[in-house]
Amino acid sequence: MSIIHVQDLSKVYRIVEKDPGLAGSFKALFRPRYKDILAVDRISFTIEPGELVGYIGVNGAGKSTTIKMLTGILLPSGGAVRVLERDPYQQRVPNARDIGVVFGQRSQLWWDLPLIESLNFIQRIYEIPPASFKRRLDEFAETLELKALFGTPIRNLSLGQKMRAELAATLIHDPQVVYLDEPTIGLDLLVKERIREFIKAQNRQRNVTVILTTHDLGDIEEICQRVIMIDAGRIIYDGPLSLIKARFGKFREITLETASPIGLFALPTGAEIVQQADQRLTLRFDRTVTTASQVAAAIMNQLEVADFSLAEPDLASIVKQIYSGALHA
Amino acid sequence: MLRRYTSLYWFFLIQRFKILMEYRLNFFIGLTSTIFLQAAGLLGIWVIVSQVPDLNGWTLDQVLLIYGLLTLAKSINHMFADNLWVIGWGYVRPGGFDRFLVRPINPLFHLLADRFCHDGLGNFLVGAALVIVSSINLHLVWTPLNLLYLIVVVISGGVIFIALNLITATSAFWIIESIPVTQIVFNTHEFARFPLTIYPKAIQLFLTILIPYGFASYYPATQILGRDPGLLAWLPPFVALVLAVFSYRVWLFGLKHYGGTGS
Ligand SMILES: Nc1ncnc2c1ncn2[C@@H]1O[C@H](COP(=O)(O)OP(=O)(O)OP(=O)(O)O)[C@@H](O)[C@H]1O
Ligand SMILES: [Mg+2]
Repeated sequence: MSIIHVQDLSKVYRIVEKDPGLAGSFKALFRPRYKDILAVDRISFTIEPGELVGYIGVNGAGKSTTIKMLTGILLPSGGAVRVLERDPYQQRVPNARDIGVVFGQRSQLWWDLPLIESLNFIQRIYEIPPASFKRRLDEFAETLELKALFGTPIRNLSLGQKMRAELAATLIHDPQVVYLDEPTIGLDLLVKERIREFIKAQNRQRNVTVILTTHDLGDIEEICQRVIMIDAGRIIYDGPLSLIKARFGKFREITLETASPIGLFALPTGAEIVQQADQRLTLRFDRTVTTASQVAAAIMNQLEVADFSLAEPDLASIVKQIYSGALHA
Repeated sequence: MLRRYTSLYWFFLIQRFKILMEYRLNFFIGLTSTIFLQAAGLLGIWVIVSQVPDLNGWTLDQVLLIYGLLTLAKSINHMFADNLWVIGWGYVRPGGFDRFLVRPINPLFHLLADRFCHDGLGNFLVGAALVIVSSINLHLVWTPLNLLYLIVVVISGGVIFIALNLITATSAFWIIESIPVTQIVFNTHEFARFPLTIYPKAIQLFLTILIPYGFASYYPATQILGRDPGLLAWLPPFVALVLAVFSYRVWLFGLKHYGGTGS
């Protein structure tokens, strides 16, 4: 039995264009000028209990909007959502008991209260039985290393500490589904690593269903088995991560800085130009056809290279390739 | 349900005072500043009433009773529903309102409980003092029944204030910055500081039917003072109830339009 059903789901934001100032406010109230933005466009998918799903796409693709409809924050403009057999908007309160949400950009904790008081607050709001609250608290003190932070006001926590606290607050009522909207934003690699481990462990131990949005493909690679990719409000890929990796994992990008403006040169075999500037050249090559050293050597023979670096292709370039038919090839 | 929300409100209140105690100075400034503001308002009333000795046959003490009732009603709004003023820039714009919608409690309750406004306590004290002083000067006898009436009309008045602010605050779901809209409606309560009979018919009707602040001050005062109260003096709780239901409908309608902010 699927835990989440999404059918032809759409969201149109109708925004009121408003002139500045008091007069503008009143004009907007009585003679509104509307502009419609189609943020999510007839998407469908189902998610099974215990799945770890990466929901990815470039800025403005519609990820957060989808999450907000799944969580009952926004009323869909069209289509249907069912989470745990409920309509999350109409049955907001029962739905809220069974889900947890992290918005990476903002905290749900009380800025001025010590962490432990924030968590007590959440216990009251969710009516968590004291025994299981205590058990979870002890668990998180350990796994999220929060013990030393319980007495600290949220405003005094570092970004990484805050996100660990945030995860504790999100999971303390033992939700069945957890939505994580950019939980690793702005964190250093060490903290990211710890958070990924924690999410995986929660999924393993409690079979929590996780839907995760991120711009860091590393998060996806470490946590998710399944990827849903959205662009301009439409789903452009829904399938196993392994397929994406097989298709795009074989590509690498090499960026070269030259000492003088780039003149004419012959493209090494198996490579193509991604970007070319005055003294900067980015190439993509297929690892199964050629190697980084062959490509670099071929270029160095022709141009005076001052520096170079290697990278995996980022999300934007994967999206571009999907459009150009890379997955059907 | 009611028990749960009452005990939750207490919990919110205790947390709120914990935070306030961290900023003790602000706490006392807020508390006393409203008292000073009230003093200025009172001075205005005193000037007007003493300049116009016969305010349609209303004495200074009688006007002060009206003003006291209005101030008590307003203080209830101030204490318990001040967040309706700041919903736009304080919650919708920065995105905190999203959080209220994913918690297993009523979002409106969450919004209101999120900030008990202690500044309103100052208003409450001033309002209570006005009612006490004027009723002593007027030799009013407070029978238990009168006292019950007083309590009911003050609460009703508070609900009327809150309901009107709720309607205007809902505009935040469209235009985010709702304060100017709230301000315009709210400010008409100033008319209700005086006996409505001093105004032209149109204004009387306005404060009775359209924006019924009259039920928070003048109409109950006619009953307490025994100045030929009509049926209208018994209506405050009903007006409050109808307005509360209507404003909550408006709020729910607005929620459907809530789009939050990007990111
Ligand atoms: N409250 C809003 N009002 C109007 N338009 C909005 C609102 N929120 C989002 N949008 C628009 O809807 C589209 C999708 O936005 P959304 O926030 O869902 O994208 P996203 O995939 O989460 O992007 P990001 O990676 O930047 O977080 C964008 O064009 C955005 O400008
Ligand atoms: Mg987003």
